[in-house]
Amino acid sequence: MTTNREELIVEFKEHLIKYLNLLDLAPADIQNDVPLFGEELGLDSIDSVELIVLLDREYGIKIKNPTEGRQILVDVNTIVDYIIANRTK
Amino acid sequence: MYIKDLYAISPQKTHDGSFENGDWLILNEYIYKAIEPSYQDIIPNAQLRRMGKAVRMGIGVSLPLLERNAKPDGIIFGTANGGLEDCIKFLNQIVEYNEGTLTPTNFVQSTPNALAGQVALLSENMGYNMTHVNGSLAFESALLDASLFFDEHKEEEKSILLGAVEEISDYNYNIDRLGERFKQELISNNELLNSKTNGSYCGEGSTQFYISNNPENSLAKFTAFKQSSYLSQNEIGGFVSDFLKEQNLTISDIDCLLLGKNGDVSTDSWYQEVEQLFGEKPKVYFKKSVGEYRTVSAFASYLAVQILNGKAQHLIENGASAQPHTILIYNHFDAIRHSLILIQK
Repeated sequence: MTTNREELIVEFKEHLIKYLNLLDLAPADIQNDVPLFGEELGLDSIDSVELIVLLDREYGIKIKNPTEGRQILVDVNTIVDYIIANRTK
Repeated sequence: MYIKDLYAISPQKTHDGSFENGDWLILNEYIYKAIEPSYQDIIPNAQLRRMGKAVRMGIGVSLPLLERNAKPDGIIFGTANGGLEDCIKFLNQIVEYNEGTLTPTNFVQSTPNALAGQVALLSENMGYNMTHVNGSLAFESALLDASLFFDEHKEEEKSILLGAVEEISDYNYNIDRLGERFKQELISNNELLNSKTNGSYCGEGSTQFYISNNPENSLAKFTAFKQSSYLSQNEIGGFVSDFLKEQNLTISDIDCLLLGKNGDVSTDSWYQEVEQLFGEKPKVYFKKSVGEYRTVSAFASYLAVQILNGKAQHLIENGASAQPHTILIYNHFDAIRHSLILIQK
């Protein structure tokens, strides 16, 4: 289990690329502080469900509250911070 | 039903038109994979990344056709399996994650009607939308549906985007191969019909037609079609003769025969019965080009239209001295499901 934040960021981005099929991107192409949902990556509501599945499967985190989800699934930084604080595996 | 336009992605170079202009690929593979064009200019990236091969090929065929023609009044597709690879992934995830949280993308893409739905969404088509999932007669069912649609709208001009799609899934290919539907040994497609073993080679692709009830500027027409199941070898001659009789045609009216012979010694004898019926007629064995799959009769129809319009003449055996005007397609799958399609200029 990766505990170093920088390593976790790279690992999370790799999962992000795999789960969302962003195959023309490398981890370095995804900025940590750029909103995931919007013009940059162009993710949509189906992707948000894929992200929830990713967090459940890879880190044992279950997001059940939509309001909470909106605050977590903002950018790579917010998600990785949440993983560090709440992961169960 | 008049065919105004058509397009196909197949294991031959149909995507750029070179197949019908004489470029025939010799395939030395167990699996005849479709040659796909670059989709970057056709399908938005955000959608493309989620698409499985069946949906991708289907939309890759639909969108150019829709761009060249007026918005159709309906979209009717046939597929035996739809997005099979995504379906298998989804089913495996149910087991792997102990029926826990599942990803939506594989599920959405694996439903057989995902293609017709996505084409409608991308082209903002609110018309009739139907997908027929009827095994190896799925395209024939789509044809029947289109025919009924035009019957209901005789008084007004209507058009339909009609087609079929099938993709190879590794999982199903391996099972089918173990069951000897596909050959254990490797021979090239130009030797396929000389094979003395069971099975054929697996193909895939998407073929679509823009059809209308208005004959103006049409390339050809679907005149008639018929399907039947569980015909014995002794019954196949009667099946064909009855069909011709129903169309007020005789054997001499057929200019060219397109046969689904696939090099499988256990089932090619049904085709030999039909060949004997037609004697030395010009014929085309279309599965030499694209292999065996459950909606391959759509590709045969594509080829028939090309031949009727003076193209793909290099594929005709016992070559015709005159340009064909009436083509009969006979295809069966596993000698269980049989279909006839009559296409005329």
